[in-house]
Amino acid sequence: MKPVSLTGPVTFSLIIAVILQLIPVSGDWILWRPNFLMLVMIAWVLYQPSRFGIGFAALVGLLADTLFRTALGHYVLVFALCGAVAYLLSRWLTYFSYFHRAVLIFLLVIFSELLQALLFSIWDVPMGLQHVPVLGFVSAIVWLLVDKSIASLNFMYRS
Amino acid sequence: MKNVFAKSSSPLRKIFLVSLVAFGLMTLDNSTSWLSPLYRVADSVVRPLYWITNIPARVQEWGEVNVTSRTVIEQENVRLKQESLIHLGQLQRMAELAAENLRLRQLLNATELLVDSVLVTEVIGVSPSPQSHTVTVDRGSDDGVYVGQPILDAEGLMGQIISVYGGHSVALLITDSTHALPVQVLRNGVRSIAEGTSDYNRMTLRFVSPTSDIVEGDQLVSSGLGGRFPVGYPVGTVASISQKPGDTFVDVEVDPSAQLDRSRHLLLAFTSKDGSPDRNGR
Repeated sequence: MKPVSLTGPVTFSLIIAVILQLIPVSGDWILWRPNFLMLVMIAWVLYQPSRFGIGFAALVGLLADTLFRTALGHYVLVFALCGAVAYLLSRWLTYFSYFHRAVLIFLLVIFSELLQALLFSIWDVPMGLQHVPVLGFVSAIVWLLVDKSIASLNFMYRS
Repeated sequence: MKNVFAKSSSPLRKIFLVSLVAFGLMTLDNSTSWLSPLYRVADSVVRPLYWITNIPARVQEWGEVNVTSRTVIEQENVRLKQESLIHLGQLQRMAELAAENLRLRQLLNATELLVDSVLVTEVIGVSPSPQSHTVTVDRGSDDGVYVGQPILDAEGLMGQIISVYGGHSVALLITDSTHALPVQVLRNGVRSIAEGTSDYNRMTLRFVSPTSDIVEGDQLVSSGLGGRFPVGYPVGTVASISQKPGDTFVDVEVDPSAQLDRSRHLLLAFTSKDGSPDRNGR
């Protein structure tokens, strides 16, 4: 049986993520805004590991690089490594509760921020880390919504 | 015949390959400008999405205009008239001072003062990354915008244009960690360089000697050195001065004057030597 194409729902979810990423916010919300592209990427890797893996994560990272105006390759590396963790854990994570997956997202966000700080330091770009715990917490809360939405999209196109 | 036992590339190998490509791209992007066309293409693709992302702000603006009581509008009208009168009075004094300044400069055989005209623009996009402080404005090369053009809000200097497209441009803010701007203390003319720190509310002064005459509360304005920014635009206020034991220079933190993460309507400054308004009557 030919597998159902997921190009439509994946593109749709990525466009929504880009829009949410571009909405102007002010004050501390700039620092606390979750990386919607990363959350959507992780969700698709978790729900469809046979189709979306490290390559997909790297491509979404490339999109993030052009969007965030970071040096090309910066988010490619960050997304690929986070995507790889999600890919390697995907077999177990599908049996986890939403809460446990949110905890993993909290840890992944902290890992990605530390990795970014390391990459920025190579090019002498300062990056504060004071906002990281709050960002991880906000991302974990938002993840519950992203997780449910991608699960519904995945279910709709599978059935 | 398809080999059913064939193994796909292992995740570790994929990670290694992706890391290699990523580091190659980062090095290329940081040391050359070969990849800049890619950013231009991405900007053009993302441009229509700004219309959608600005819907909340537009709804808020519409609400402020249409869902305001008559009394509030009348009060605001009175306040604006009073403010306008005060500004007109100050402008008359400014005109007199400018004429006097010009006469004195002519006496000294100094170069002509640069006269600035401005173009009002609106922010249509903000960089989604906290590390990159850029804004997208709704004026481009069609309006005469050029790379390096200063951009300011009602409170002070905000940054400069770094990319220009047909109908929009991207400006780098003064708080971006890659931005530096020559400033001087308004009180005594001491010169320094103000650098961004990736924090919208903080800048730092570089290489300030402990004996420099800079105190907390000093106003900093653009010095005009380098020819990129016009002279005299407010940049910030010295917020704190500290020195770590053993350091040769003091750490001077500056609170930017401009509302960098809040201002929506900005001004693009055009500088001309003759002082005459340009073709658009700006």
